[in-house]
Amino acid sequence: MGTIRVLLADDHTVVRQGLRRILETDPSMEIVAEVGDGRAAVEAAERQRPSVAVIDISLPSLNGIEVTRQLAKATPETRVLILSMHADEAYIHQSLKAGAKGYLLKDADDQDLLKAITALHSGGSYFSPAVSKLVLRGYLHESVESADELAGLSDREREVLQLIAEGKSNKDIAHLLDVAPSTVETHRKHLMEKLHLHNTAAIVRFALRHGLIQ
Amino acid sequence: MTRKIRVLLVDDHTVVRRGLRKILESTNDIEVVGELGSGLEAITAAAELHPDVVLMDVSLPDLNGIEATRRITAATPGSQVLMLSMHADEQYVLASMEAGAKGYLVKDVDDQDLVAAVLAVCAGQTYFGGILGSTSGDGRRSPAVLSARERQVLAMISSGHTNRQVADTLGISINTVESHRKHIIDKLDLHSTADLVRYAIRHRIVNLSR
Repeated sequence: MGTIRVLLADDHTVVRQGLRRILETDPSMEIVAEVGDGRAAVEAAERQRPSVAVIDISLPSLNGIEVTRQLAKATPETRVLILSMHADEAYIHQSLKAGAKGYLLKDADDQDLLKAITALHSGGSYFSPAVSKLVLRGYLHESVESADELAGLSDREREVLQLIAEGKSNKDIAHLLDVAPSTVETHRKHLMEKLHLHNTAAIVRFALRHGLIQ
Repeated sequence: MTRKIRVLLVDDHTVVRRGLRKILESTNDIEVVGELGSGLEAITAAAELHPDVVLMDVSLPDLNGIEATRRITAATPGSQVLMLSMHADEQYVLASMEAGAKGYLVKDVDDQDLVAAVLAVCAGQTYFGGILGSTSGDGRRSPAVLSARERQVLAMISSGHTNRQVADTLGISINTVESHRKHIIDKLDLHSTADLVRYAIRHRIVNLSR
Protein backbone atom coordinates (compact mmCIF):
# COMPACT_ATOMS: atom_id res chain seq x y z
CA MET A 1 0.00 0.00 0.00
CA GLY A 2 2.91 2.35 0.64
CA THR A 3 3.25 4.91 3.38
CA ILE A 4 0.30 7.12 4.13
CA ARG A 5 1.61 10.70 4.27
CA VAL A 6 -0.44 12.66 6.81
CA LEU A 7 -0.74 16.33 7.74
CA LEU A 8 -2.00 17.15 11.25
CA ALA A 9 -3.64 20.49 12.02
CA ASP A 10 -4.94 21.34 15.51
CA ASP A 11 -4.23 24.50 17.47
CA HIS A 12 -4.22 22.76 20.85
CA THR A 13 -0.58 21.76 20.96
CA VAL A 14 -0.74 18.96 23.51
CA VAL A 15 -3.78 17.50 21.73
CA ARG A 16 -1.95 17.60 18.41
CA GLN A 17 1.12 16.00 19.93
CA GLY A 18 -1.07 13.27 21.39
CA LEU A 19 -2.63 12.63 17.96
CA ARG A 20 0.86 12.38 16.49
CA ARG A 21 1.81 9.70 19.01
CA ILE A 22 -1.30 7.75 18.10
CA LEU A 23 -0.31 7.87 14.42
CA GLU A 24 3.24 6.87 15.31
CA THR A 25 1.95 3.53 16.56
CA ASP A 26 0.99 2.71 12.97
CA PRO A 27 4.05 1.95 10.82
CA SER A 28 2.15 2.60 7.58
CA MET A 29 1.72 6.27 8.49
CA GLU A 30 4.17 9.10 8.15
CA ILE A 31 3.44 12.54 9.56
CA VAL A 32 4.77 14.98 7.00
CA ALA A 33 3.57 18.16 8.68
CA GLU A 34 2.16 19.27 12.03
CA VAL A 35 0.65 22.75 12.26
CA GLY A 36 -1.37 24.93 14.61
CA ASP A 37 -3.31 27.23 12.32
CA GLY A 38 -5.27 27.11 9.09
CA ARG A 39 -2.99 29.22 6.97
CA ALA A 40 0.01 27.09 7.94
CA ALA A 41 -2.05 24.00 7.07
CA VAL A 42 -2.61 25.18 3.51
CA GLU A 43 1.03 26.15 3.07
CA ALA A 44 2.26 22.84 4.47
CA ALA A 45 -0.13 20.86 2.28
CA GLU A 46 1.05 22.69 -0.82
CA ARG A 47 4.66 21.92 0.11
CA GLN A 48 4.25 18.32 1.26
CA ARG A 49 1.27 17.12 -0.81
CA PRO A 50 0.01 14.73 1.91
CA SER A 51 -2.38 11.94 1.07
CA VAL A 52 -4.58 12.73 4.07
CA ALA A 53 -4.98 15.98 6.01
CA VAL A 54 -6.46 15.73 9.52
CA ILE A 55 -7.94 19.19 10.07
CA ASP A 56 -9.54 20.42 13.27
CA ILE A 57 -12.67 22.32 12.35
CA SER A 58 -11.83 25.35 14.48
CA LEU A 59 -8.39 26.54 13.55
CA PRO A 60 -7.21 30.11 14.08
CA SER A 61 -6.33 32.34 11.12
CA LEU A 62 -8.26 30.16 8.67
CA ASN A 63 -10.93 27.78 9.96
CA GLY A 64 -11.07 24.09 9.02
CA ILE A 65 -13.83 24.47 6.45
CA GLU A 66 -11.99 27.25 4.63
CA VAL A 67 -8.81 25.15 4.74
CA THR A 68 -10.78 22.29 3.14
CA ARG A 69 -12.08 24.62 0.44
CA GLN A 70 -8.58 25.91 -0.35
CA LEU A 71 -7.02 22.45 -0.37
CA ALA A 72 -9.69 21.22 -2.79
CA LYS A 73 -8.32 23.77 -5.25
CA ALA A 74 -4.64 23.78 -4.35
CA THR A 75 -4.00 20.09 -3.57
CA PRO A 76 -6.99 18.15 -4.89
CA GLU A 77 -5.23 14.83 -4.30
CA THR A 78 -5.22 15.49 -0.54
CA ARG A 79 -8.19 13.86 1.22
CA VAL A 80 -9.44 15.94 4.13
CA LEU A 81 -10.58 14.40 7.42
CA ILE A 82 -12.31 16.96 9.61
CA LEU A 83 -11.93 16.55 13.36
CA SER A 84 -14.64 18.13 15.47
CA MET A 85 -16.15 18.13 18.94
CA HIS A 86 -19.72 18.21 17.71
CA ALA A 87 -21.99 16.58 15.13
CA ASP A 88 -23.27 19.95 14.01
CA GLU A 89 -25.45 19.75 10.90
CA ALA A 90 -24.36 23.05 9.44
CA TYR A 91 -20.66 22.28 9.93
CA ILE A 92 -21.04 18.81 8.48
CA HIS A 93 -22.90 20.15 5.47
CA GLN A 94 -20.37 22.89 4.85
CA SER A 95 -17.44 20.51 5.32
CA LEU A 96 -18.78 18.08 2.77
CA LYS A 97 -19.67 20.86 0.39
CA ALA A 98 -16.13 22.19 0.74
CA GLY A 99 -14.81 18.76 -0.25
CA ALA A 100 -14.05 16.94 3.00
CA LYS A 101 -14.13 13.15 2.71
CA GLY A 102 -14.32 12.37 6.40
CA TYR A 103 -15.75 13.82 9.58
CA LEU A 104 -14.58 12.39 12.89
CA LEU A 105 -15.85 13.40 16.31
CA LYS A 106 -13.39 13.72 19.15
CA ASP A 107 -15.19 11.08 21.19
CA ALA A 108 -13.94 8.56 18.64
CA ASP A 109 -11.07 6.44 19.92
CA ASP A 110 -7.50 6.14 18.67
CA GLN A 111 -8.31 3.12 16.49
CA ASP A 112 -11.12 5.04 14.79
CA LEU A 113 -8.65 7.80 13.91
CA LEU A 114 -6.28 5.30 12.30
CA LYS A 115 -9.14 3.57 10.48
CA ALA A 116 -10.43 6.90 9.20
CA ILE A 117 -7.04 7.95 7.83
CA THR A 118 -6.55 4.56 6.19
CA ALA A 119 -10.02 4.68 4.63
CA LEU A 120 -9.47 8.14 3.21
CA HIS A 121 -6.05 7.20 1.85
CA SER A 122 -7.70 4.32 -0.04
CA GLY A 123 -10.12 6.73 -1.68
CA GLY A 124 -13.01 6.13 0.68
CA SER A 125 -14.75 8.22 3.28
CA TYR A 126 -15.21 7.93 7.04
CA PHE A 127 -17.83 9.39 9.37
CA SER A 128 -18.38 8.92 13.08
CA PRO A 129 -21.68 7.08 13.61
CA ALA A 130 -23.53 10.16 14.86
CA VAL A 131 -22.40 11.99 11.73
CA SER A 132 -23.33 9.16 9.34
CA LYS A 133 -26.86 9.21 10.68
CA LEU A 134 -27.23 12.84 9.74
CA VAL A 135 -25.56 12.42 6.38
CA LEU A 136 -27.62 9.38 5.36
CA ARG A 137 -30.86 10.91 6.47
CA GLY A 138 -30.22 13.59 3.87
CA TYR A 139 -31.06 15.99 6.61
CA LEU A 140 -28.66 18.61 5.45
CA HIS A 141 -30.35 21.50 3.73
CA GLU A 142 -29.03 24.75 2.43
CA SER A 143 -31.83 26.28 4.47
CA VAL A 144 -29.69 26.24 7.61
CA GLU A 145 -29.43 29.96 8.23
CA SER A 146 -25.74 30.26 8.88
CA ALA A 147 -24.83 28.37 5.73
CA ASP A 148 -26.91 30.86 3.71
CA GLU A 149 -25.41 34.00 5.17
CA LEU A 150 -21.81 32.90 4.83
CA ALA A 151 -22.41 31.47 1.37
CA GLY A 152 -23.24 34.97 0.20
CA LEU A 153 -19.67 36.08 0.87
CA SER A 154 -16.72 35.52 -1.41
CA ASP A 155 -13.89 33.27 -0.17
CA ARG A 156 -11.77 36.31 0.51
CA GLU A 157 -14.53 38.09 2.39
CA ARG A 158 -14.96 35.05 4.65
CA GLU A 159 -11.22 34.98 5.31
CA VAL A 160 -11.17 38.68 6.21
CA LEU A 161 -14.20 38.20 8.46
CA GLN A 162 -12.45 35.55 10.54
CA LEU A 163 -9.24 37.58 10.83
CA ILE A 164 -11.09 40.73 11.93
CA ALA A 165 -12.96 38.72 14.55
CA GLU A 166 -9.65 37.32 15.77
CA GLY A 167 -8.58 40.87 16.55
CA LYS A 168 -6.12 41.39 13.72
CA SER A 169 -5.51 44.88 12.39
CA ASN A 170 -6.02 45.78 8.72
CA LYS A 171 -2.27 45.95 8.38
CA ASP A 172 -1.82 42.43 9.81
CA ILE A 173 -4.56 41.09 7.56
CA ALA A 174 -3.04 42.74 4.50
CA HIS A 175 0.29 41.13 5.37
CA LEU A 176 -1.23 37.69 5.92
CA LEU A 177 -3.23 37.73 2.71
CA ASP A 178 -0.47 39.43 0.76
CA VAL A 179 -2.71 42.24 -0.50
CA ALA A 180 -2.83 46.01 -0.02
CA PRO A 181 -4.48 47.41 3.13
CA SER A 182 -6.93 49.23 0.88
CA THR A 183 -8.02 45.87 -0.52
CA VAL A 184 -8.65 44.61 3.02
CA GLU A 185 -10.70 47.75 3.66
CA THR A 186 -12.78 47.01 0.58
CA HIS A 187 -13.43 43.42 1.63
CA ARG A 188 -14.33 44.61 5.12
CA LYS A 189 -16.75 47.17 3.73
CA HIS A 190 -18.41 44.63 1.44
CA LEU A 191 -18.79 41.93 4.03
CA MET A 192 -20.24 44.38 6.52
CA GLU A 193 -22.78 45.54 3.95
CA LYS A 194 -23.74 42.01 2.94
CA LEU A 195 -24.15 40.84 6.53
CA HIS A 196 -25.69 44.08 7.85
CA LEU A 197 -22.97 44.51 10.46
CA HIS A 198 -22.10 48.03 11.56
CA ASN A 199 -18.93 47.77 13.58
CA THR A 200 -16.20 45.45 14.83
CA ALA A 201 -18.21 44.33 17.85
CA ALA A 202 -21.00 43.16 15.56
CA ILE A 203 -18.48 41.32 13.37
CA VAL A 204 -17.08 39.49 16.39
CA ARG A 205 -20.54 38.52 17.61
CA PHE A 206 -21.44 37.21 14.15
CA ALA A 207 -18.23 35.19 13.98
CA LEU A 208 -18.85 33.68 17.41
CA ARG A 209 -22.46 32.79 16.57
CA HIS A 210 -21.36 31.03 13.41
CA GLY A 211 -18.47 29.20 14.99
CA LEU A 212 -15.80 30.97 12.97
CA ILE A 213 -13.94 31.74 16.16
CA GLN A 214 -14.17 30.27 19.65
CA MET B 1 13.75 2.77 43.12
CA THR B 2 10.93 5.31 43.39
CA ARG B 3 7.59 4.06 42.26
CA LYS B 4 5.86 5.65 39.28
CA ILE B 5 3.38 8.50 39.59
CA ARG B 6 -0.11 7.08 39.17
CA VAL B 7 -2.42 9.20 37.02
CA LEU B 8 -6.16 9.02 36.37
CA LEU B 9 -7.21 10.65 33.08
CA VAL B 10 -10.65 12.23 32.72
CA ASP B 11 -11.71 13.71 29.34
CA ASP B 12 -14.75 12.78 27.27
CA HIS B 13 -12.92 13.36 23.98
CA THR B 14 -11.59 9.85 23.74
CA VAL B 15 -9.07 10.37 20.97
CA VAL B 16 -7.65 13.36 22.88
CA ARG B 17 -7.48 11.28 26.05
CA ARG B 18 -5.67 8.45 24.26
CA GLY B 19 -3.13 10.91 22.93
CA LEU B 20 -2.53 12.37 26.40
CA ARG B 21 -2.13 8.84 27.72
CA LYS B 22 0.54 8.09 25.16
CA ILE B 23 2.40 11.27 26.07
CA LEU B 24 2.36 10.46 29.77
CA GLU B 25 3.25 6.81 29.30
CA SER B 26 6.25 7.72 27.15
CA THR B 27 7.95 8.97 30.30
CA ASN B 28 9.51 6.54 32.74
CA ASP B 29 8.02 8.28 35.74
CA ILE B 30 4.32 8.09 35.02
CA GLU B 31 1.78 5.28 34.91
CA VAL B 32 -1.79 5.85 33.75
CA VAL B 33 -3.99 3.78 36.07
CA GLY B 34 -7.32 4.65 34.49
CA GLU B 35 -9.02 6.75 31.82
CA LEU B 36 -12.63 7.90 31.82
CA GLY B 37 -15.04 10.23 30.07
CA SER B 38 -17.34 11.02 32.98
CA GLY B 39 -17.10 13.20 36.08
CA LEU B 40 -19.25 10.88 38.18
CA GLU B 41 -17.17 7.84 37.23
CA ALA B 42 -14.02 9.80 38.03
CA ILE B 43 -15.12 10.32 41.63
CA THR B 44 -15.68 6.59 42.12
CA ALA B 45 -12.48 5.65 40.31
CA ALA B 46 -10.42 8.10 42.38
CA ALA B 47 -11.82 6.58 45.58
CA GLU B 48 -10.96 3.08 44.39
CA LEU B 49 -7.59 3.68 42.75
CA HIS B 50 -6.16 6.50 44.93
CA PRO B 51 -4.18 8.01 42.05
CA ASP B 52 -1.45 10.52 42.81
CA VAL B 53 -2.80 12.87 40.16
CA VAL B 54 -6.18 13.26 38.46
CA LEU B 55 -5.93 15.03 35.11
CA MET B 56 -9.43 16.45 34.67
CA ASP B 57 -10.99 18.26 31.74
CA VAL B 58 -13.12 21.21 32.84
CA SER B 59 -15.99 20.34 30.54
CA LEU B 60 -17.46 16.89 30.99
CA PRO B 61 -20.85 15.60 29.86
CA ASP B 62 -22.38 14.71 33.21
CA LEU B 63 -20.93 16.36 36.29
CA ASN B 64 -18.70 19.27 35.32
CA GLY B 65 -14.97 19.01 35.97
CA ILE B 66 -14.94 21.64 38.70
CA GLU B 67 -17.67 19.97 40.77
CA ALA B 68 -16.00 16.59 40.29
CA THR B 69 -12.77 18.18 41.53
CA ARG B 70 -14.50 19.45 44.64
CA ARG B 71 -15.80 16.00 45.48
CA ILE B 72 -12.55 14.21 44.74
CA THR B 73 -10.42 16.58 46.81
CA ALA B 74 -12.88 16.14 49.67
CA ALA B 75 -13.14 12.34 49.46
CA THR B 76 -9.59 11.43 48.40
CA PRO B 77 -7.31 14.21 49.64
CA GLY B 78 -4.24 12.24 48.66
CA SER B 79 -5.10 12.75 44.98
CA GLN B 80 -3.99 16.05 43.46
CA VAL B 81 -6.18 17.42 40.70
CA LEU B 82 -4.75 19.07 37.58
CA MET B 83 -7.37 20.75 35.38
CA LEU B 84 -7.22 20.76 31.62
CA SER B 85 -9.17 23.20 29.50
CA MET B 86 -9.49 24.74 26.06
CA HIS B 87 -9.77 28.20 27.54
CA ALA B 88 -7.76 30.33 29.95
CA ASP B 89 -10.85 31.71 31.60
CA GLU B 90 -10.06 33.53 34.86
CA GLN B 91 -13.34 32.45 36.40
CA TYR B 92 -12.73 28.78 35.65
CA VAL B 93 -9.20 29.01 37.00
CA LEU B 94 -10.41 30.61 40.25
CA ALA B 95 -13.29 28.17 40.60
CA SER B 96 -10.96 25.24 40.04
CA MET B 97 -8.52 26.45 42.67
CA GLU B 98 -11.36 27.02 45.11
CA ALA B 99 -12.58 23.49 44.43
CA GLY B 100 -9.14 22.24 45.44
CA ALA B 101 -7.30 21.79 42.14
CA LYS B 102 -3.54 22.25 42.35
CA GLY B 103 -3.00 23.15 38.73
CA TYR B 104 -4.62 24.42 35.55
CA LEU B 105 -3.42 23.75 32.01
CA VAL B 106 -4.71 25.20 28.80
CA LYS B 107 -4.60 22.78 25.87
CA ASP B 108 -2.15 24.91 23.94
CA VAL B 109 0.67 23.79 26.24
CA ASP B 110 3.05 21.20 24.86
CA ASP B 111 3.82 17.68 25.98
CA GLN B 112 6.73 18.79 28.16
CA ASP B 113 4.49 21.22 30.04
CA LEU B 114 1.98 18.43 30.60
CA VAL B 115 4.59 16.16 32.14
CA ALA B 116 6.10 19.00 34.19
CA ALA B 117 2.64 19.89 35.49
CA VAL B 118 1.91 16.32 36.57
CA LEU B 119 5.26 16.07 38.38
CA ALA B 120 4.74 19.46 40.05
CA VAL B 121 1.24 18.88 41.41
CA CYS B 122 2.22 15.39 42.53
CA ALA B 123 4.92 17.07 44.62
CA GLY B 124 2.30 19.37 46.14
CA GLN B 125 3.14 22.44 44.06
CA THR B 126 0.72 24.53 42.04
CA TYR B 127 1.15 24.72 38.29
CA PHE B 128 -0.43 27.04 35.73
CA GLY B 129 0.33 26.46 32.10
CA GLY B 130 -0.75 27.83 28.75
CA ILE B 131 -2.08 31.23 27.76
CA LEU B 132 -1.79 32.06 31.44
CA GLY B 133 1.96 31.67 31.10
CA SER B 134 3.69 28.72 32.75
CA THR B 135 4.36 29.15 36.43
CA SER B 136 4.76 26.63 39.16
CA GLY B 137 5.32 26.82 42.87
CA ASP B 138 3.40 29.40 44.80
CA GLY B 139 2.92 31.76 41.89
CA ARG B 140 -0.56 33.09 42.37
CA ARG B 141 -2.31 35.28 39.86
CA SER B 142 -4.83 37.72 41.22
CA PRO B 143 -7.83 38.04 38.93
CA ALA B 144 -8.36 41.19 36.93
CA VAL B 145 -11.27 42.87 38.65
CA LEU B 146 -13.31 45.37 36.71
CA SER B 147 -15.22 48.07 38.56
CA ALA B 148 -18.99 48.14 38.16
CA ARG B 149 -18.70 51.11 35.81
CA GLU B 150 -16.05 49.37 33.75
CA ARG B 151 -18.32 46.35 33.39
CA GLN B 152 -21.13 48.62 32.21
CA VAL B 153 -18.89 50.25 29.63
CA LEU B 154 -17.57 46.86 28.50
CA ALA B 155 -21.11 45.51 28.15
CA MET B 156 -22.18 48.40 25.98
CA ILE B 157 -19.08 48.41 23.78
CA SER B 158 -19.44 44.68 23.25
CA SER B 159 -23.07 45.10 22.25
CA GLY B 160 -21.92 47.39 19.47
CA HIS B 161 -22.67 50.80 20.97
CA THR B 162 -20.56 53.76 19.95
CA ASN B 163 -18.59 55.77 22.51
CA ARG B 164 -21.15 58.57 22.04
CA GLN B 165 -24.01 56.21 22.83
CA VAL B 166 -22.20 54.86 25.91
CA ALA B 167 -21.50 58.41 27.11
CA ASP B 168 -25.10 59.50 26.63
CA THR B 169 -26.59 56.43 28.27
CA LEU B 170 -24.32 56.51 31.29
CA GLY B 171 -24.39 60.32 31.61
CA ILE B 172 -20.61 60.71 31.33
CA SER B 173 -18.33 62.43 28.85
CA ILE B 174 -16.83 60.70 25.81
CA ASN B 175 -13.38 61.30 27.31
CA THR B 176 -14.43 59.35 30.37
CA VAL B 177 -15.70 56.52 28.20
CA GLU B 178 -12.37 56.46 26.37
CA SER B 179 -10.56 56.43 29.67
CA HIS B 180 -12.64 53.52 30.96
CA ARG B 181 -12.00 51.67 27.72
CA LYS B 182 -8.28 52.13 28.09
CA HIS B 183 -8.34 50.95 31.72
CA ILE B 184 -10.30 47.86 30.75
CA ILE B 185 -7.83 47.00 28.01
CA ASP B 186 -4.87 47.52 30.34
CA LYS B 187 -6.36 45.54 33.22
CA LEU B 188 -7.31 42.61 31.04
CA ASP B 189 -4.16 42.78 28.91
CA LEU B 190 -6.19 42.86 25.69
CA HIS B 191 -5.32 44.54 22.43
CA SER B 192 -8.40 45.29 20.38
CA THR B 193 -12.15 45.73 20.34
CA ALA B 194 -12.44 42.17 19.06
CA ASP B 195 -10.57 40.95 22.14
CA LEU B 196 -12.91 42.97 24.40
CA VAL B 197 -16.00 41.51 22.79
CA ARG B 198 -14.75 37.93 23.04
CA TYR B 199 -13.82 38.51 26.70
CA ALA B 200 -17.24 39.99 27.46
CA ILE B 201 -19.07 37.10 25.87
CA ARG B 202 -16.91 34.46 27.49
CA HIS B 203 -17.44 36.04 30.90
CA ARG B 204 -21.16 36.46 30.30
CA ILE B 205 -21.00 40.22 30.59
CA VAL B 206 -23.05 40.25 27.43
CA ASN B 207 -24.83 37.39 25.75
CA LEU B 208 -24.66 36.35 22.16
CA SER B 209 -28.12 37.29 20.94
CA ARG B 210 -28.58 39.38 17.83
